Amino acid sequence: MTAPSPSPAAVRRTAHTLATGAVGWLHRHRELGSLPPDTSGELTDPDSVYKPLGESALAASLVLREGIASPADRRAAEEILDFAWAQLREGDLLYERQLRYMMMTDPLELYTHFARAGYRHERLHALFNHLGRLVSRDGAEQLPNRRLAVANAARVAGLDREPDWQVLTDATWLGHTPEPWAIDWMTAYCVTHTVFHVTDWGGRPQGLSPEIQDYLARWLPVWMDVWQEIQEWDLLAELLIVDSCLAEPRSAPEVWEVLAGAQRPDGLVPRNGEPVSDDPEQAFREHHHTTVVAAVAGTLALSRHRGAPALV
Amino acid sequence: MSYPDPSPHAVYAAAVESLAGRVLGALTGTRGPAGPARHVEEAGDPKAALAAVRVLGPDVFAPALLAGAAFGPADCEAVTEAFRVFPPGPDDPPETVWRDRATAALLTRHGGDPVAPGAQPVSRTPRHRWRIWAGWMARLSPLALPGVTGPLPEPDARAAQALAMGTTRALLRRDHPTAARLARWAAYADGRGAPCTLDLGAVLDHIELCGSGTARTALDTAIARRLAAGSERRTA
Repeated sequence: MTAPSPSPAAVRRTAHTLATGAVGWLHRHRELGSLPPDTSGELTDPDSVYKPLGESALAASLVLREGIASPADRRAAEEILDFAWAQLREGDLLYERQLRYMMMTDPLELYTHFARAGYRHERLHALFNHLGRLVSRDGAEQLPNRRLAVANAARVAGLDREPDWQVLTDATWLGHTPEPWAIDWMTAYCVTHTVFHVTDWGGRPQGLSPEIQDYLARWLPVWMDVWQEIQEWDLLAELLIVDSCLAEPRSAPEVWEVLAGAQRPDGLVPRNGEPVSDDPEQAFREHHHTTVVAAVAGTLALSRHRGAPALV
Repeated sequence: MSYPDPSPHAVYAAAVESLAGRVLGALTGTRGPAGPARHVEEAGDPKAALAAVRVLGPDVFAPALLAGAAFGPADCEAVTEAFRVFPPGPDDPPETVWRDRATAALLTRHGGDPVAPGAQPVSRTPRHRWRIWAGWMARLSPLALPGVTGPLPEPDARAAQALAMGTTRALLRRDHPTAARLARWAAYADGRGAPCTLDLGAVLDHIELCGSGTARTALDTAIARRLAAGSERRTA
C-alpha cells in the first residue's frame, strides 16, 4: 500500500489563486482598518482595528519574506505595511501603549511584523529590550502558546532574549503530543499558534522536534477533515498553514480546492459557512482575520509545498 | 408519555440490540447461557430474532471465540435457520458478503451444516483515502475476531494508522458507535503486529463513558478489550 504523492503543482496553483485574491482584498479594503482619529495607546477596544492592522501587516510581511509574489502582489504588500505603519504613527502609538502598560505584549507582537519587513522604532526597540530583561517578564501569567508568541516576536524583532524553546514548547498542549481525539476548537487554535511561533510561520520548520512533526503529519488530515466538514474555514486555513510549517508539507489538493471554493470572487475568505454581510464594514470586521489567514496559507504553500506523500 | 415504535425497522433494531446484549453478557460472564438458540426461543417475534442473528453474524460466535463459551447444535441450527429465512442475495452490498462468508465459515467450524454464503468478497486497502476505507472497515467490524478470514489478513503500519485516523475522526464527530467499531479493528491489528498509534485503553474508556450506551457498541468495546489483551491468542 503506497500513497500517491499529492500533486505539488495542483496545490501550488490553488494556493497562488487563494493568496493573490486574499492579498488583493486586504489591500483594497485597507482603509476600513483605519484607527479612529485621536486614538491613544490606551485603546479601549484593541480587537476592533488595532489587532487587524497587525494581522494585515503579518500577511504582508510574509509575502515579502517569501519573495515569490508577483510584482503587483509585492507592491500591494508594501502598501499594506506602509498604511498600517502610518496608522500606528510610525510606531509611536505602540511605544505609548507599551509605556502605559508595561506588562502588555501586544505592542511587541505587532511591531515584529514591521520589523520583519525592515521598519524600526529605536526608542520602542530599547524599551522592549529593557522590559525583556525584567524578572517580571519571566513570571507573566500567560498561556504557553502565548508565551511562544512573545518569544518569536522578540526573535524576529532582533531583541536581546534567548528563551529555552524546548521548555516553552513542552509546556503547550501540542508539546505533550496528546490524544488527537481530545482536541477541541479552541485547543486547535492553540496548536496552530504553537506551530506558527515555534517555526516563525514556516521560516524554521526544524524548530519543531521530529516527534511533533510526526504527530502533526499523522493527525492534521483528520483535524482538517472534521473542521472542513462543518465549514470552519478560518480553522481549516490555519491548519493548512501548520502543514506548510512542517519540513514536508503533505496537504492534499482537494483540501485546498475546498478552501479556495469558499473564497468569494473579490478575494474575501469567510470565516465559516454563514452568509457574508453585504455591508463592507461588517464584512471587514467579521472576515478580515480569515482573509489574512488565507493570504498566509496560500503564500506559504506556494513557497514550500513540494508534494510529500501523505502517511496514509 | 412515550409509546413503543411499532415499525418493522424499530422491531428489528430492538431485536439486534437484545441479541447484542445477550452476546455481551455471555462474553463478559454476566449472563448466560445466551447463544442464538435461546435468543430465538424467547423472542416475541422469532423472525425479527432471526434477522438479528443475520445482522450480528460472526459476533454471535464471539463468546465462543474469545471466552470459550459453548456453541451447541441448537445454536448452529438457529444460525442455519436465519440463513434459510434471510438468504444471501446477488445484490447484497460487499460488507454483507464479507459478513455472510465469515458467519458461514464459523458455523461449519462449530459443527453446523454448510450454508451458501453468497458471492466472493472484494478487498479494499487504505491507500490515501483513509476516510473512505475506515468507513468501510467500520461496517465490517463483526469480522474483527480471532480465526475469522476478514479484510485485514496482514495488517501493516499504514492500516493501523488509517484505523487510528478513522477512530479519531469518529470520536471528534461524537460518532461513538463507529469509533468503537474502528477501535475494535485497531485492537485486532495491534494483536497482529501493527501497533495502534492511539492509547486504545483511553479510547475504549472514553467510548464507554461518553458513548451511546447501546449493547451493540458495548459489545464492540468489550471485544476490542479482549483483542487488545490478547485473548485470541489463548482461545483461537
